[in-house]
Amino acid sequence: MNAVEMHGIVKQYPLVRALDNVNFEVEKGEIHSILGENGAGKSTLMNVLYGMTTCDEGEILIDGKKVSIKHPSQAIALGIGMVHQHFMLTPVMTVTENIIVGSEPVKGPFVDYKTASKKVAEMIEEYHFGIDANARVQTLSVGQQQRVEILKALYRGANILILDEPTAVLTPQEVEELFVVLRDLKAAGKSIIIITHKLKETQEIADRVSVLRAGVMIDSGLPVKGCSINDLALMMVGRKVDLSFTRHRDDPGDVAFEVKDLNLTIQGVPVLKDLALKVRKGQILGIAGIEGNGQTELIEVLTGLRKPDSMTLLKDGEPLSGNAARFLSAGVGHIPEDRLKRGLVTPLSIEDNIILGYHKLNKFANRGIRKAGAIHSFAEEKVEEFKVKTPNVLEKCSSLSGGNQQKVIIARVFSQDPDVLIAAQPTRGVDVGAQEFIHSRLLDLRDQGKAIILISADLDEVRRLSDRVAVIYDGRIVAESNHDEWDEMELGLLMTGGKEGGGESA
Amino acid sequence: MGIILTYLIPILASTVSMSTPLIFASVGGAFSVRSGVMALGLESMMMCGAFGAVLGSYYSGSFVVGLLCGMLGGMLIGLFHAVLCVRYKVNQVISGIGLNLLATAITTLLMQIVWGNKGTSEMVDSIDTSIGGPIPIISEQSFNFFVMIAVVVIGWIVLFKTRYGLRLRMVGENPRAASSMGLRVHALKYSGVIICGILAGYGGAFLSLDQLNMFVRDMTAGRGYIAVAINILGRYNPLYIVPCALLFGFCDAVQIYLQGQGVPSQLIQMLPYLATLLVLAFGVRHIQAPAGVGKHEDD
Amino acid sequence: MKKKNDVQRENRLSRLDGAPLSIISLLISIVISAVILAVSGYNPFEAYSAIIAGAFGSLRGIAQTLTQATPLIFTGLAFTLAKKANLINLGVEGQLYMGALGAAIVGTVDLHLPMVIHLPLAILGGLILGALFGALIGFLKVKFGSNEVVAGVMLNTIATLFVSYLLNGPMLAEGSSVAQTERVVESARLPRIFQSYQLTIAIIIAVIACILVRWFINRTTLGYEIRCVGLNPKAAETAGISIGKVLILSMCISGAIAGMAGASHVLGVDRRLIDGFSSGYGFNGIAVSALAAENPVGVIFAGLVFGVLKAGAMELNRSTGIPTEFVDVIQSMVVIFVSAPLLVKGMLHIKNNYSGKKAAKVAKEA
Repeated sequence: MNAVEMHGIVKQYPLVRALDNVNFEVEKGEIHSILGENGAGKSTLMNVLYGMTTCDEGEILIDGKKVSIKHPSQAIALGIGMVHQHFMLTPVMTVTENIIVGSEPVKGPFVDYKTASKKVAEMIEEYHFGIDANARVQTLSVGQQQRVEILKALYRGANILILDEPTAVLTPQEVEELFVVLRDLKAAGKSIIIITHKLKETQEIADRVSVLRAGVMIDSGLPVKGCSINDLALMMVGRKVDLSFTRHRDDPGDVAFEVKDLNLTIQGVPVLKDLALKVRKGQILGIAGIEGNGQTELIEVLTGLRKPDSMTLLKDGEPLSGNAARFLSAGVGHIPEDRLKRGLVTPLSIEDNIILGYHKLNKFANRGIRKAGAIHSFAEEKVEEFKVKTPNVLEKCSSLSGGNQQKVIIARVFSQDPDVLIAAQPTRGVDVGAQEFIHSRLLDLRDQGKAIILISADLDEVRRLSDRVAVIYDGRIVAESNHDEWDEMELGLLMTGGKEGGGESA
Repeated sequence: MGIILTYLIPILASTVSMSTPLIFASVGGAFSVRSGVMALGLESMMMCGAFGAVLGSYYSGSFVVGLLCGMLGGMLIGLFHAVLCVRYKVNQVISGIGLNLLATAITTLLMQIVWGNKGTSEMVDSIDTSIGGPIPIISEQSFNFFVMIAVVVIGWIVLFKTRYGLRLRMVGENPRAASSMGLRVHALKYSGVIICGILAGYGGAFLSLDQLNMFVRDMTAGRGYIAVAINILGRYNPLYIVPCALLFGFCDAVQIYLQGQGVPSQLIQMLPYLATLLVLAFGVRHIQAPAGVGKHEDD
Repeated sequence: MKKKNDVQRENRLSRLDGAPLSIISLLISIVISAVILAVSGYNPFEAYSAIIAGAFGSLRGIAQTLTQATPLIFTGLAFTLAKKANLINLGVEGQLYMGALGAAIVGTVDLHLPMVIHLPLAILGGLILGALFGALIGFLKVKFGSNEVVAGVMLNTIATLFVSYLLNGPMLAEGSSVAQTERVVESARLPRIFQSYQLTIAIIIAVIACILVRWFINRTTLGYEIRCVGLNPKAAETAGISIGKVLILSMCISGAIAGMAGASHVLGVDRRLIDGFSSGYGFNGIAVSALAAENPVGVIFAGLVFGVLKAGAMELNRSTGIPTEFVDVIQSMVVIFVSAPLLVKGMLHIKNNYSGKKAAKVAKEA
């Protein structure tokens, strides 16, 4: 008997059909991977199963019985648990509080915290999770937080566990640990659904795989054994893509951007410690690291958004300091790590966004008065050049897809011809087509002799694009080397501080 | 010693009395903010509480009915605020301000319709017996002093010790997470804002039936906004709210005492408002509201 | 392709905002307050027709409407401009009082200057005090992270009390039993459009101000920066825009416009500063801005709409005794409904469903 059956699921949003007549089945005790690109409808399908969204048509069967799931509480009662990609945790509360809320043990009118934390501690022990039941969630590492999420589901007696992109934020080592946990759970008879776009992981952990593309189930319940990565990629994207293309350069020019003695303390906590790095003209320096090791603050310092306690910064041998405006005008371009937070003013039009940060330049304004015509024609030209898919440049950025939003930012930064580019997560959450486009643009810019610092959580991206790779751990650059020095596991070890790197200067 | 008895004790007694409505409203505000809904509408809840109380007492001839009507008045505004903010996803600041404007307009309009007077209502049955007893300061308060203590203590226990409180705080911190754990986010938010309305309404009723015996145009005079500031300063925790409210009550008491002592009255009246401004400037810098304030479970 | 267009159109129709939302909200508010009037024993139809007659029926009525609309346009514009930077300037009332004070200080002194110099100076006095008082709120927010709404309300009371103090003491007109200043001297008075009515050229200044602000927001770099900061401060910061500077400047300009409302009242209508002269113009501005859908030119029309209601209601109050406050009720409901498009849509939907059901029933019977 199947643990889950979904028949003819349809979900229509105002502009898109997110799910189009999708059928999907999960057997008891298997690990089933749902593969698909960003926006293919994977998360929507699982949100339907978990009651976070309701579908317009279709039926769901759990253990062979037809059910109606309109709210997560119903899903929970049916033994479904979900670990979301963006963790559903409250940082200021304890592990125990986060886990028990919604099914708290009570003593009279009061929550019985004593019993609760004892039970949580027992579960932590049972699954070898190694976390303190009374710690505040904000003190835990990302991997530990994920375990809290898994515990939340298990505490509620979940037999069907959905994990949404569980490896996106983990190091290779943490991924291995997670897979051990998942195999244990499978052995205990749980059915596990993993949403992912990572082919290698699907091959490693899943028994069967279903592929979604643009809301349509391309193939469902395929045994993983016997599928090649190329077959899966073809199904997922619908055409042949080669994400392994790359070209490295080993003949960089002079040092374009050099940082020394960078120290930063936030509320008494040292965040960046004696950090030093340099990048040469015609070179991409990739910075690999687990999120939360100081990358965000490093980006902010390198773009003038945050004042460090101490730093020597040389651009082309000249000291550079000041605020963000100063850095921009000095030719330090910035692709922000979160396009919606820092990159775009989404309610404004494409033409307003494509000059953001450069709006005071003489070509766009004269004595504080904007040159509307010049801005408009500039925007039209760039939208064309950077292949932003939009009816016209007056369209609001909020109406664009993630990939096209990112292209607007790329167009803005690249067209001002920066000498140095700080590119943070340049392809996060964009589709494969846009990813290819952005990667080749970055390489073009490098080939024009620009210096690029690439900060990305995507290890594949760092390895593919960088000429040199530096590893950041706990606010320090712990190792730096040429791009082909380390394999993935070695990088992973460095990123967790498990190994001090060698590394020589370029 | 004599000076203390003649000056300090009346001022302190007045401090407690002036703080009481602020404490009611701020504790209510704590419930609202902890559930993730900003409490800028406190002014309107107090206003309708004060008006409802007088109206109830006027028609029934009993201040008990008045107090109940005051709570009802505040609750109605709270319900309206919740419907706007939770069901219809209105900007919480705008909703609060809109309701404050509405409360001022409606109470003034109704005052003329009911009593034919723009400035004050008729005098109604009110609370005029004090506790008495040997303890100075407290002996001059009415039974509402005990109600206030009870609201603070029970409010604290409910928020931090009970299942309901844990769930309410979870909703206020992260509505998506709360929803994914099967909590009824809307119902919890409604409850938080409605409790806020009831308590603020009681605070308003205290103004009109305990401190006075009638409704006066613009009776709350910005006290709802001061309560917002107290709520922030008290970190949305009933126990911390009390000392903060006493600070403002003290300013008010001094202000009243200094009236008619030769200093221009308008300048003295500024005191509580200046104090609020100073607290906003220097006291609340690093106080974080719950992370989920203004957020919905589906965005 | 055609299908996609249809979907888009449908989507646009399902989104309710801008002028349609404003007009529907106004109509709903008027209907609700009519119900309140009816319940209170007044005839709402008589009331509203009397209002229209009062506001348009005579030259005097029209002049009165425009006089009432003038401060509403200014305060609505002040609120709108701050809103562009995502600031809720609830301190408009206080800035208005300070603006009135500034104008009175300059305007009541006989400087022996010609009007072309003295009048602009008096206006400038109002603008400056209003701007400073507005900037103070911006400063508190930027420097200390104070909530601008609460700070604004506190400063309103402080400004009102301060002006009241001055009018009862240092600035009290000689021999006056009312708290008010001396009369504004001839050379600092705003010229009246009709000799016998209070309407002055301030209404023209107000209209020009709205058009100027629209131009400022859309066509200048500072206006652009204000919009960026208002919509996404983090992105603005990343783009090298100084958020603090933009916020303080926005409050400064907003305060100046609010100050102009006070100055125009002192120099044009009362021709002296009288204690408690504002009947809540600052708060009315919130409703004007809401009805205008935060569009600077829309403020002109929204100001006129409420000017009509206010002038008409005053007329009505004189003849029938209906409290003028029901206009305030309409205004506050407009603020709420305009901010709640989903609610308004829900209300319309109920009606649609109802008529839909009725139609279906009719069809069935036939």
